[in-house]
Amino acid sequence: MPLQHFSSSKPLSMGVELELQLVDPHSLDLTGAASDLLHLLERKPFPGDVKPEMTESMIEISTDVQENYDGLLAQLREIRDALVAAGDKLNVRLAGGGTHAFQHWSEQAIVKKPRYQQLSELYGYLAKQFTVFGQHVHIGCESANSALFLLHSLNRYLPHFIALSASSPYFQGEDTLFDSARLNSVFAFPLSGRAPFVLDWEMFENGYFRKMEATGVVSSMKDFYWDIRPKPEFGTIELRVCDTPLTVERAAALACYLQALCSYLLTCSDPAPSEDDYLVYNFNRFQACRFGLDGIIVDPRTNKNLPLREDILQTLDKVQIHAGRLGSRPALDEIRRILAEGNHASYLRQQFSQCRNVKGVVDAAIDAFRGKP
Amino acid sequence: MLQPIWGDLAIPFTLLVAWMLGELGHRHLAVPRITSYGVVGIGIAVIMNVSKTLFQVDDLWSLTLLAQIAFGLLLFELGYRINLAWLRHNPWLALNALVEFIATFVVVFYVAKLFDLLPVPALLLASLAVATSPLTILPVVNEMKSGGQVTERTLHLSAINCVLAIVAFNTVVGYWVLSSAGDTFQAVWNSLIVLFVSAGLGVLFGVILPRLLDLADTNEKQSTVAFALAVIGLILVTHSLHFSPILATLVFGLIARHHRNVRHQAQPNFGVLGDVLVIVLFVHIGSRLQGDTLFEGALLAGAVVLTRFAVKSMAVLAFARMSGLSLRKGLLTGIALMPMASFGILLLELSAQRGLLFPETLATMCGLLLLVDLASPVILRRTLMVAGEAPKAH
Repeated sequence: MPLQHFSSSKPLSMGVELELQLVDPHSLDLTGAASDLLHLLERKPFPGDVKPEMTESMIEISTDVQENYDGLLAQLREIRDALVAAGDKLNVRLAGGGTHAFQHWSEQAIVKKPRYQQLSELYGYLAKQFTVFGQHVHIGCESANSALFLLHSLNRYLPHFIALSASSPYFQGEDTLFDSARLNSVFAFPLSGRAPFVLDWEMFENGYFRKMEATGVVSSMKDFYWDIRPKPEFGTIELRVCDTPLTVERAAALACYLQALCSYLLTCSDPAPSEDDYLVYNFNRFQACRFGLDGIIVDPRTNKNLPLREDILQTLDKVQIHAGRLGSRPALDEIRRILAEGNHASYLRQQFSQCRNVKGVVDAAIDAFRGKP
Repeated sequence: MLQPIWGDLAIPFTLLVAWMLGELGHRHLAVPRITSYGVVGIGIAVIMNVSKTLFQVDDLWSLTLLAQIAFGLLLFELGYRINLAWLRHNPWLALNALVEFIATFVVVFYVAKLFDLLPVPALLLASLAVATSPLTILPVVNEMKSGGQVTERTLHLSAINCVLAIVAFNTVVGYWVLSSAGDTFQAVWNSLIVLFVSAGLGVLFGVILPRLLDLADTNEKQSTVAFALAVIGLILVTHSLHFSPILATLVFGLIARHHRNVRHQAQPNFGVLGDVLVIVLFVHIGSRLQGDTLFEGALLAGAVVLTRFAVKSMAVLAFARMSGLSLRKGLLTGIALMPMASFGILLLELSAQRGLLFPETLATMCGLLLLVDLASPVILRRTLMVAGEAPKAH
């Protein structure tokens, strides 16, 4: 199947996808309620889109194309309220968070859709272990080449999004000591990681993609689990490293921070991206996953160590003016709050220290999603 | 010489056989374990009918007490799983439960009257028919680790209709005492006072124990021990005071859940203790089958099973859409609500221990329904699999 034509979309428009947990209110474990919930939601218009995911205990919601913080947040809240009401009607709870704190991967059932069944056969236990929950943010691009430019310019800032969104410290009942343990599950897939360094769409399509397609390993862009990937049919780039935050407010803030950052990058104020930027890519990524906002990253241009928190603060100053123009200033206030108060991984650890039980962590995640932290 | 030794070993040996058959049946024929336990219990009943020497009534006493504890633990667990707030968020479900109760009671009463049962036995039978036996449902749900709307609704409806069945049953008992003995005090005692005090004791335990666990700051395992001890204590107290251990343990579970702290939650099925006691419970229930008059009421039993299934299914189907369920899952929930007899048998047994002498027809009827009920764990297992709620069972 040839690569789809890259459709042009309004620059810096955005859309958010959130993978959410379905939780049983009694055991607080994941519950296979996706089909029942989707059946109920089908009955009346949903303020966005909702669909099944890999296992029966997850669903994915997505917003329409949005342009600013207010519009995005309003729709995310509407979606959240519709989901919570439907969940209450079926005695099912919804929660954010990159992982469920104590679910066991082998208990999960793969959704009966041909694509998921094929993936399950191919990847074995990795598919069930993939019961992790991410936020994907799409940013509209005018052209395919501008998409590739943004994709590679963002590589240096990727740790920001990992650390700010991190909400998966617990996995299979244990504190992993990572702020984002979810990304370790993603990294196990052979086609995960970074995209190849190509800045020209024609070279990407006729060179890299055709060759990969000829090997039989991939048939569409969907087969790549890259941290950032182009989405030709939408005319967007899709950032996929964020854990689903505990609240929709944080999800909206992260999307708008990315939007403002892309606006800044399009002014070409940063040095042009290069292959050498990727020398420290995996190291920086690890620092953000492991230590969250306390991570130390290496600047690929100067080779200097830099506290991640400080790097984010400096970047916020650089993009402030862009956020103002895009109507997303409150989003940056929320990002500053994260830097001051800690990410959701630290919030979940606080909850654990209070109740000393991973079930309390899930309980707190449910309350946070409902808007009563 | 052999007889005294066998007398001591009869019950432990039978339980071991039941456990083995349960495992073999589950592994090779995918039969829920409780069906095999029940069959072994019926085996005891048949043997006792043929030869009085192999098993003696005295031997079974230890089984009865353990079975009643198992019953109490299961009822507590059922109550503990119930989310009363769900009924507030989904009032159609509450209405479903109410309509199902009234319709089942009325229809089964008239069916019993059609078969010339006297009013009191007919009313008692109608009360028993209201209940969906959690004794059958919980072990199967736990065994299959099922989860979804059919599972959740079956558990919630079972809890509600058990409470309503006990209320109806005790009210009928009160009416019966009043009409036969004319003693108003005895009538009120056997109905209202028993209900209120039993429920009150359940509330008391449900409020106090979670507080104590908070103070003791126990972990989940130790909390489970405390809950199990409290259930046993509650059963013994209600037993010796002639109240209803069924209502008390169920209410204890309901209230404890709503005062729970996630740190001190009871483990599902009380861990291995639950597995052991369920064997005792079902062997005991099976052994209650009374052979002499078994086939006298076969037609009535068949009619009760069918009408009960039809009424319950129609009630669930009528409210399916409004309460957010597909018609397919509504029908599957109706089927899942079928198990009945194990609860009825123990309700009669426990009430008889309060000194009430029930008409013989009732025990016979429950015995017959038990035979039908042996198939119900198999049907329930199949139903949950068709509903797609037990992926591990495939």
